[in-house]
Amino acid sequence: MNQLHCSIAMKPPNNSEIIGTWFRKLLPLISLLIICVVLSLLRPRFLTWENISNIIRQHAQIIIMAIGMTFVIISRGIDLSVGSMMALAGVCGTLLMTVGVPVVPAILAGCVAGLFWGLVNGFAIRAPIPLILVLPIPMLAIMVALELRRAFPVTLVLILSIYTLTIAAAILLAILLPGFVGTPLKLLCRIKVSPFIATLGTMQVFRGLVLQMTEGLTVYKNIPPSFGKLRNGNLAEIVPVGIFDSVAVYLILIAFLGIFAFLILRRTRLGRYLYFHRIPAAVIFILFIAAVAVLAIRLRGSIPLPLILILIIAALASLVLRYTRLGRYSYAIGSNVEAAYHSGIKVGIYIVLIYAVCGLLTGLAGMIHFSSLGSGVPTEGVGYELRVIAAVVIGGGSLMGGEGSVSGTIAGALFMAILLNACVHLQISDYIQQIVIGALLVLAVAFDQLWKRKLQGESQ
Amino acid sequence: MTQPILQMVGINKSFSGVRVLRDVDFELQKGEIHAVVGENGAGKSTLMKILAGIHRADSGQTIWKGKPVEITSPSFSLRLGISMVHQELTLAEHLTVAENLFLGREPLRQKQLGIINRSSLFRGAKKLLDENHFELVPSATVLRLPIAQRQLVEIARALAAESEVIIMDEPTSSLSAREAEEFFGVIHRLKAKGVSIIYISHRLEELHEVADRITILRDGRKIVTAPFRSLQMSEIIRHMVGRELSAMFPKKDAKIGEEILRVENLSRAGVLHEISFSLRAGEIVGIAGLVGAGRTELARAVFGIDSIDSGRIFVLGKEIARTSPSKAIAAGMGYLTEDRKVTGLAASLEIPTNVTLSNLAKLVSFGRINLRQEKEIARQYIARLRISTPSVRQKVLRLSGGNQQKVALAKWLFAQSKVIIFDEPTKGIDVAAKSDVFDFFVELTRLGAGILMISSELPEILGMSDRILVMRRGRMVGQLDARRTTQEEILRLAALGAERAA
Repeated sequence: MNQLHCSIAMKPPNNSEIIGTWFRKLLPLISLLIICVVLSLLRPRFLTWENISNIIRQHAQIIIMAIGMTFVIISRGIDLSVGSMMALAGVCGTLLMTVGVPVVPAILAGCVAGLFWGLVNGFAIRAPIPLILVLPIPMLAIMVALELRRAFPVTLVLILSIYTLTIAAAILLAILLPGFVGTPLKLLCRIKVSPFIATLGTMQVFRGLVLQMTEGLTVYKNIPPSFGKLRNGNLAEIVPVGIFDSVAVYLILIAFLGIFAFLILRRTRLGRYLYFHRIPAAVIFILFIAAVAVLAIRLRGSIPLPLILILIIAALASLVLRYTRLGRYSYAIGSNVEAAYHSGIKVGIYIVLIYAVCGLLTGLAGMIHFSSLGSGVPTEGVGYELRVIAAVVIGGGSLMGGEGSVSGTIAGALFMAILLNACVHLQISDYIQQIVIGALLVLAVAFDQLWKRKLQGESQ
Repeated sequence: MTQPILQMVGINKSFSGVRVLRDVDFELQKGEIHAVVGENGAGKSTLMKILAGIHRADSGQTIWKGKPVEITSPSFSLRLGISMVHQELTLAEHLTVAENLFLGREPLRQKQLGIINRSSLFRGAKKLLDENHFELVPSATVLRLPIAQRQLVEIARALAAESEVIIMDEPTSSLSAREAEEFFGVIHRLKAKGVSIIYISHRLEELHEVADRITILRDGRKIVTAPFRSLQMSEIIRHMVGRELSAMFPKKDAKIGEEILRVENLSRAGVLHEISFSLRAGEIVGIAGLVGAGRTELARAVFGIDSIDSGRIFVLGKEIARTSPSKAIAAGMGYLTEDRKVTGLAASLEIPTNVTLSNLAKLVSFGRINLRQEKEIARQYIARLRISTPSVRQKVLRLSGGNQQKVALAKWLFAQSKVIIFDEPTKGIDVAAKSDVFDFFVELTRLGAGILMISSELPEILGMSDRILVMRRGRMVGQLDARRTTQEEILRLAALGAERAA
């Protein structure tokens, strides 16, 4: 009797349950594969490496921003400002090129600018009042720098030092001020704003700032043509390689499928019977990397640079989410912010960091985006925030926090990208494309709910 | 006996292959207060949810006023005349009392357009509240009412729906002793009106005040239904747990060592006044007081959640200045909050994540969390605390209340806290889990930790503590030796204060 409470019931979960949870995790990927197969049957041209690398080049900025947004949404936040921020950070980077900064440092500066505006978002949420006291400084400084540009070429160092100083000032104000000033001001420093409202505000601020900086005009003077390579470049442009047939692409798909099947199998009874579980994950990983590397060498002339960037960022972001405190605390804060605070997590600092990560990636996305245009356009990126959020949500992220993954997000972003591409191939109008994407978003979330309900029903 | 208003015969229910109810019979007379007791997982909630239409029975029959019925949905159950007052209240907080009472059944001025007749809404509410002697203002916003009054609104809502059967799930769990007393008055008046009440509670003492009959469930089976007075309290407990619970409070044998926590003249405007006390290694100090006496507020201030206006806090001899939870934890403190779902656990995450949350740094080398070690640690605590779970990586939200509490305990154990504050550690958990928790307290003291235990259950405080601090209106009104005091003395201090109690 009373076994329900006293025994250590440690029976391993059964096969169907494991496959169930894996299935849910892989659902975005599986639907991605299905749509690829269907499309390639309908339009053979779809599954050519050329078309796929086009899709990746066209949507790289969305995918990269969505990886950053994954952190934000896992922590139960939202960042509506990414569209404006992409334009602002990208223009910051391209402006540097117009005054003679070389391409690579300028791209890095664009990323740093994104990081900075991401920090601004974090402060807007956690300490809006110190932020508002500080924010005019970088705004004015940037304006002054731009005025001075006419007289002297502004150096990278100048703008970077403005950023650094402002960050330092904001941190000082937000953290040290409450310690030294009286109670009323202390309270002012502790006031918080919900992420939705804070980033709704910064969305406007960033857009206004970028328009003011450029006076609404496109930044195009003196931009080196090599800037375009960030988006259009290949892994190795030096070696000319002919256009690859779709066999190579099928190989990649099979490699992916095989490895996922293996990952699932090794947890099931059949897998145990075949001694799959004795093969360490590292071996599979190395095999996988080797397979990709072989393909990469074969294809190196036609592997888009953005794809390489996406792969590196995705790998890093997944590792950060899984193996570091920043990632773990993102989940904890998103799951229950009160419990996180009571567990001694410095919630405020981590939230600022999370938005900074999102900003950093948005900065890079901005540079990629403007690379394709060969100029900085202050009106770009309107409405991108919605596509980015949709990618995360389709990929299994929950706006209620605590859920989401990088692989899911990428699948979600690719899913939308491929659907848009399919619309082009099938000659469906732009207007219908919007309807399709919108409906897809609602459907994806509805299916996710259905799935969750099924799992919870079983657990009761 | 007359025709029962409600009968349930041979109810069976399984969830994913696990039998939760086996051939359970239940009956309810008109105007009867029928207590349903059992440990967590005994099946009482499921039985009630079947009655309320939330779940459907696999087999068995429900007979309402002599006629077999099939309860298919909550709205059907409500139409029959069965209402459920939930443990977590389900009111629309931003609306007024009157609006809540008639939610979904508002009197309309104009039917087609759905224009609400506000004056008749408020008149109806006032009439209903007056008839039942509920001291509630119809125009008050629910958000501003204390918990006890919200509970009354819930009950009034059941009455407004003209329910003949009201199911109450742990109705007094968040009420103070005085509020509970008033609440029992309400229940007796309802009974006099002919309303039948099914009363679910963990607090056996209070059933004494209200229950006519009692049904005891254990492991999904009905053990007995009998008039309440015919059973001894010890018999009830024996039926519930299936064994004599003689060793509810384990014997303490820890040596009391050095002072590990000292609080001096702690004040927070309007909440805490000049509170001083200390705690030694190996000691359990109980903090008693009525609801609202400032016990939780004291814990929050000591742990650094709420700021303090004056006073000093020393942990292991070192002062903590400008407290915050992260500093308190770094100094060796832990705080198991009263409301584990709101402030204790990240319930949508897995057990290992929750266990290591407040001391994650221990598992990190070169910025990387060692996931294998983390899982191993979780496995150890699951075994040590007897957490019942199908797998190590189970999400906390899918565990029962007692097991969730044990996960929260494990968190502070892993944080290697020396000073642990437990706020209502046994709230809403069953008898067996309680006894596990107490065993665990003793183990903690043996390891040299000191425990501050806040509890509203006086027997618990008396049974477990070495010393008892009594609080009243934000002040410390007495320190008692647990071996030489009585429940009456504690209550007198808590209710009247030192000057008049003396």
